[in-house]
Amino acid sequence: MFKRIFYWGISAGVASAVAALIYNRVYFFITEANFSKLVNVSTLIGANLLACMLAAILYWVCLKWLPKKGELLFNFLFAILSFASIILPIAIHLPLDIQFPELFPGLTIPMHFFPALAWHTLRPFFTK
Amino acid sequence: MYPLASLLIIGSSAFTIIHSQEWKPTEDYAVKFTSDDPSGVFRGLKGTIKFDEKDLANSKFDVTIDVATINTGNGMKNTHAKSDKWFDAEKYPVIKFTSSSIAAAGAGYEAKGTMEMHGVKKDFVMPFTFQKSADGGVFNSSFDINRLDYNVNTAEPAHGAAVVKVELSVPVTK
Repeated sequence: MFKRIFYWGISAGVASAVAALIYNRVYFFITEANFSKLVNVSTLIGANLLACMLAAILYWVCLKWLPKKGELLFNFLFAILSFASIILPIAIHLPLDIQFPELFPGLTIPMHFFPALAWHTLRPFFTK
Repeated sequence: MYPLASLLIIGSSAFTIIHSQEWKPTEDYAVKFTSDDPSGVFRGLKGTIKFDEKDLANSKFDVTIDVATINTGNGMKNTHAKSDKWFDAEKYPVIKFTSSSIAAAGAGYEAKGTMEMHGVKKDFVMPFTFQKSADGGVFNSSFDINRLDYNVNTAEPAHGAAVVKVELSVPVTK
């Protein structure tokens, strides 16, 4: 079971990172606001893989702890944690040489939901 | 012929008016403010900077910064800072300093004049130094300013720091 969940996490991380990279480029073309000092290819790939691997561990723990209701609990926790994490881009203080910090939440808040979106999109490939 | 030319040169030099050097800020200037909360920068420095160490009487600063350019690093705070609760950038778009006299003070200089912020004008003394280079120089200044003196959000004196430290670094060219 752990192997299946591990590959689910990796796959969701890759899919989520690809979506984030595309959204990052689209957002730059729309606003021309440059946040590449903080949001770039390596940080996006790293953050999305990390988020989905943590989700995989949480999923495994939930299923181990509550075999019948574990998935329900995990879905709630993933959704709540994704939503709660948007406080980070809202509250963050960017380096002062980065202009238009008011556009930063518009870039990063949607990205906070990409791991959950990718996880559930790939669900049919990893569940019986 | 030569005595006549000499007379003309001497005569014209008697009426030569010495103008203080006018300096243009380069784009890498910095107008920073720091406190426990908030800290940030302003951009949009404009105006006249006339300064000659040998002719302080004709030296003058008449500069503004654009309030709407405030950057605290946080979009929400920037919006609040520009709102009518704080700087009211729409009604008072600039912070202005106009010097009335400049004098040597210690290792640097002091510019006495008027600081205008948020519609309030107050006498202000700005200490500064000037490091001259081959084709320009750098003005540096550091001073404290109390927003309550300029009626900036007097309704909430404890909301964020009242006194902020302002640090200016303005490289200039001729």
